[in-house]
Amino acid sequence: MLRTAALAAVAALVAAGCSGGGGDNSSGSGAAFDVTIDTPAAKGPLDKVKWSLYAEPQTLDYAYAFDFPINTVLANVCENLLRVTPDLKISPGLASKYTNPDPLTWVYTLREGVKFHDGTPMAAKDVVASLTRHADPEVGSSYSTVFKDVASITETGPLEVTIKLTRPNVLLNEQLSASPGIVESADFLAKAGKDYGNPQGGVNCTGPFSLEEWKPGTSITLKKNDAYWDSTLAPKTSELEFVFIQDPSARANALLTGEVDGGYLLPTTSFDKLHASDGKLYFGAITGSYSAAVTNLKGALGDRRVRQALSMAIDRDGMVQAALNGYGAPAKAPVPAAGWATVPAERAQTIHNSLPAITQDPAAAKKLVEEAGADGKKVVVATSNLAPEISVAANAIQAAGKEIGLDVELRTIAPDAYTALFTDPATREGIDVLVTSGYDMTPDPLEFYAALQTGEFANYGNWSNPEYDQLVKEALGTTDPAARAELTVKLQEIALRELPGIPLWDSPMSLYLGKRVTGVTPNITHLSYPWAATLGSAN
Amino acid sequence: MSRSLLRFLLGRVVGLVLVLLVTSFVVFSAVHLAPGDPVSFLMRGRPVTPEARAALTAQYHLDEPFLNQYFMWLGDVLGGDFGRSVQFRQDVGDLVAQKLPITAFLVVYAMVLVTVVGLALGILSALRPGLVDKLVLAWTGTSIAIPSYIAATVLTSVFAVKLGWFPLYGAGEGFTDRLWHLTLPAVALALTFAGLLARVTRSAMLDELSREHVEVARSRGVPEGQVIVRHVLRNALGPIVTVVGTMVAGMLVATSIVETAFSVKGVGSLLVNSVTVKDFPVVQALTLLVVAAFLVANLVVDLLQPLIDPRLALGGDEK
Repeated sequence: MLRTAALAAVAALVAAGCSGGGGDNSSGSGAAFDVTIDTPAAKGPLDKVKWSLYAEPQTLDYAYAFDFPINTVLANVCENLLRVTPDLKISPGLASKYTNPDPLTWVYTLREGVKFHDGTPMAAKDVVASLTRHADPEVGSSYSTVFKDVASITETGPLEVTIKLTRPNVLLNEQLSASPGIVESADFLAKAGKDYGNPQGGVNCTGPFSLEEWKPGTSITLKKNDAYWDSTLAPKTSELEFVFIQDPSARANALLTGEVDGGYLLPTTSFDKLHASDGKLYFGAITGSYSAAVTNLKGALGDRRVRQALSMAIDRDGMVQAALNGYGAPAKAPVPAAGWATVPAERAQTIHNSLPAITQDPAAAKKLVEEAGADGKKVVVATSNLAPEISVAANAIQAAGKEIGLDVELRTIAPDAYTALFTDPATREGIDVLVTSGYDMTPDPLEFYAALQTGEFANYGNWSNPEYDQLVKEALGTTDPAARAELTVKLQEIALRELPGIPLWDSPMSLYLGKRVTGVTPNITHLSYPWAATLGSAN
Repeated sequence: MSRSLLRFLLGRVVGLVLVLLVTSFVVFSAVHLAPGDPVSFLMRGRPVTPEARAALTAQYHLDEPFLNQYFMWLGDVLGGDFGRSVQFRQDVGDLVAQKLPITAFLVVYAMVLVTVVGLALGILSALRPGLVDKLVLAWTGTSIAIPSYIAATVLTSVFAVKLGWFPLYGAGEGFTDRLWHLTLPAVALALTFAGLLARVTRSAMLDELSREHVEVARSRGVPEGQVIVRHVLRNALGPIVTVVGTMVAGMLVATSIVETAFSVKGVGSLLVNSVTVKDFPVVQALTLLVVAAFLVANLVVDLLQPLIDPRLALGGDEK
């Protein structure tokens, strides 16, 4: 689960809206928007497409691929063992087949005839080298904890890899459909050494595009891979150039003038302008929501009633209006319906619909606070100008807390220090509430809920509930998706009752396509699915 | 003469090295004293196992005592190795080599604009009292007061978005393309400095204009053009060159704002970014670069002064 990576990203995209003069922050009316899976299919090929990123990737090494810019590029260059399709289904990728003969064993059969960009064939040794690299402390992979239950990864045939676990964990298999499952050539890894993935070293994978050139500070150019194994995803665009435009208004302007053909993650302040342009603005699903994590359960918020009261007092509609110009909706749970794609869509919707809406009731909330004897107690909320929505949320939480008799103090944290709050518990000392956002790498909601177990990294407040831990353990050992989802529903119930985090709002992924181009998915799967393979001419 | 020049140069080089040493130590301490752990920034909110944290800490020598870290770093630098960027996982040398040409181009471009515009306006203002002088003063006052990020926003919206004359972002490739890409950033960068230089030129010129030797030259019937060039401008060059010299370093620092505003990935934006994520090796290398640029610019100014005004001997302070 990528809580803070997303936060940093969202930050960068909406954030500097402030520096851009923000003259376009108009009415922000009811903002009706449709979330779609696809955009109209491309009608023909294109020689060259220019795509905007809000920042230059720091590296293209898959071991550190946990942020929007790098994943948006790498999804087209490097492929995973499994693949999440735009409709959020896990399907075979570089592994044509996988079996789970016993709860502790996963066997992957690799696709035949797949070649790396340098022409060498992919084999089991490449998978072993690529995956074991995550566990190497010297590498410091962003995904080391994904592999924490792994006992061994071995080559059991020229095209067969077996992963042995120390305890059942279905999530590991599912997460091989994202960056943790990327396969790079073993020889290339050895040859590139410490320069792997940087502008000198480059990467050598199997995707529909190969890395043609990385001009640091200027652009990353991908070239169509004519030898791509998946004929259904043969690229329609010959050359894809990524350019880095940090300033949100400059990015919006580059799209409006047609200097750049498209981009994900646009500044909310530019939505109205982009809507009115001759290109198209699309919205896709994100598998996570914004929430207020309770990071200190020893203070006033240690009492469940106080957490409930705070949740009841928050003006979520106001937040959506102020933070997102109305492009969002109040959240009912930490994972939105889109994050439940391991079960049929109707079931996911039913699960979501059965959740009670969180109604704002300050009077009842105030009573709860009094009952808990927390009247006048202090609560510290971290805020930052990392992204405008963080301060909007922090201010709304402060207003809600004050209304129900809590003494809420805002503590301003520098933007980069804010992201470090999530990694380093020592930096969270003295803070009670932290606004977080993010998305799950997989369509399985268990990914989020498992991260709230006792002692887990994303359980920022060290919340602990034995019943919950037992259910997570059971769910991790349940291979049937439907049965697992029912267990996850129970986890959701407990999480919403106990509120280790307070749900705030859901907001969509945004995508802009200039008038020349079409054919890519607007949703979060573009971070691991080769989205640009279907990108082509709109005319 | 040449021996004294040599001695002067040697003295300055020793001074330069000493200043660089002191700055490097000050910056090293400052970055270390600031709260936060680079490994946490490095992981950007991702979970990290204790073993991985330990390995990364050792990799960047963060587990060593402070002074050891400094001397290890210093030893590497003397051996030509500036270390490896924590966030980009590249050698700092490579990283800076990629970005420095962009910033150097931008600074030189802006410097040319500053010199041409600043001198022209300053001279014009000094020679044409009255309306022209008032207009120039008003303009320089405004341009000095406009922060470069505001100038960046205005320039972009008018010349890039509305008129479409210039690109919105990036640094371009090849000389002409780069010139085109960096025009707006260079103008944004040059505005304040050009205003300052115009003011300095104006007052230096006015100062000289009221001097006796100018009166004498005029009364002797020297043509006015020659009076201005030989007797006024030439003598006013001293303060002008000094100011231009200090501007070079100021500009290197100011690029951070302009580069960020125009999405130009040069040394300036790299510095800002590296400071916030505590990328020690990059911050160190860039700080030293800026300090060295400042010292070298000053050295050049000092070497030029005697050529402008022979009364000023090199190392005049020895007298």
